[in-house]
Amino acid sequence: MSVSSSADLALQTKGLSHIYQGVNGEVQALSDINIDVKAGKFIVIVGPSGCGKTSLLMMMAGLRRQTTGELLCLGQPMHEPDPQRVGVVFQEASLYPWLTAADNVAFPLSIRGDDKQRARQRALSMLALVGLEGFENRYPHELSGGMKQRVSIARGLAQDPPVLLMDEPFAALDEQTRMTMGHELLRIWSTTSKTVVFITHSLTEAVYLADEVHVMSARPGRLIDFVAIDLPRPRTYEIMATERFGMLRERIWQQIRKSH
Amino acid sequence: MITRPSPRSVRWAMLIILLTGWQVLPATRIIPELFLPSLSKTISVLILDWRIYGSALLVTLGEVVLAMVIACGGGIAAGAIVGGFSLIRTIFLPIFSSLYAVPIVILYPVLTAWLGVGPPSKIVFAGVYAFFPVMLSTAAGIRTIDPQFLLVARSMGANLLQQVLLVIVPAALPTIFNGLRLGGALAIIGVVVAEMLTAAAGIGYLVTLNRTILDSPRVFAALLMILLLSIAYDICTRLLEARLISWVPQRQSPLAGRGSLSANTTTSAA
Repeated sequence: MSVSSSADLALQTKGLSHIYQGVNGEVQALSDINIDVKAGKFIVIVGPSGCGKTSLLMMMAGLRRQTTGELLCLGQPMHEPDPQRVGVVFQEASLYPWLTAADNVAFPLSIRGDDKQRARQRALSMLALVGLEGFENRYPHELSGGMKQRVSIARGLAQDPPVLLMDEPFAALDEQTRMTMGHELLRIWSTTSKTVVFITHSLTEAVYLADEVHVMSARPGRLIDFVAIDLPRPRTYEIMATERFGMLRERIWQQIRKSH
Repeated sequence: MITRPSPRSVRWAMLIILLTGWQVLPATRIIPELFLPSLSKTISVLILDWRIYGSALLVTLGEVVLAMVIACGGGIAAGAIVGGFSLIRTIFLPIFSSLYAVPIVILYPVLTAWLGVGPPSKIVFAGVYAFFPVMLSTAAGIRTIDPQFLLVARSMGANLLQQVLLVIVPAALPTIFNGLRLGGALAIIGVVVAEMLTAAAGIGYLVTLNRTILDSPRVFAALLMILLLSIAYDICTRLLEARLISWVPQRQSPLAGRGSLSANTTTSAA
């Protein structure tokens, strides 16, 4: 296969590393990360807790500066958060409790200075997309955990960024809700043609969602394996029972185990 | 099955019993009039002397409002600085926290020496008295904001001003409001106490004046006015709270009479 031209790449990192000042001196959180993410792909990064997955995502979001290396998003470096290119969905839904669901989704649009009426329209259609029609005037404390995370996804999509970064968005949810949400996410993704970078420590979730799984080692976080998930789409829950699914999951598990 | 009476009706019943007792006990001479004049007598004094009590109320009210302005304005400004800048916080917060326990009333004789017995000494005293809870709760409100809230805003490209106005202010508002509520109450207490100590006007002054001449109905008329003032203040803060921070989930407040089921009607769509 030929090297893909950078025009097809939504995200590209070259020799990315991150060192921060800990209590006992310098800590190497990430070391020599090279990832090419093609536009429109669903990428999952897995790794043990504390391997720097979140650090990597924060850099992709422009919320943290790398110590060395280069990071390009749609061909341009990310020096600061740029919601026109990248939307972020965090682990905790982190909705603002003083805003209704619709106002939370419209929040990034009001930051941008959009017309109120238009922002509201956009928020309502995003809520409809994530299956929350009729809940627009609820406050976060009136929503269940899964519903909050749906609002959070709607908020991440509100500015229509080509790249969506998701930092363990379903980690706080119970198993059943988590499965439903994963399935929902695939449905939303298939209708919006975004590039998604999704972080998780659940291998089942990783294999179920991904086009490609990147495996990270324990600290300092390095990329130790790359697994193309060739399962057909659209995927259903039954796919988890197939032999191929089990093999892919097992391969990733072996890599993570070796790295400890 | 016996249905339990609602807390609201129990509260009203208690109030009615209290007021009836106030009327009946002195009237039947079980309690001497000097100790407790009956409710009707107290109210009739209030109506008879409405000019005196009305102008006293205006004096007190003016002092309270100005004291609240000093306490809230200064308290929020100082609290924002102390809460927002860690260097200033580490230097000053221990000092403020310690000062909080000092009975500030010891300052009052000094203030009357500086500012005279007129309203300014009351305003400054009550303003200082009410300043600390406002400042401390503002600082706490800003300091305890979930850092995730700010991270989310930054990821959406919010600049510093937007972060302050759209995230920090609304996030800190419930805590700040608690301080304002307490501070406002302390401003009322501060003004009345100051008037009782040294003054030439105001409701507190009427209490002291009539007590020295053993005119119980007039003392109680003044007490009744202070009570009404406090109740009016509480109603105002509740209305303001309902407007400003209506999003806060219903808390269990012993005084809150409004019940809402909205917090429990979460439906699962997932």
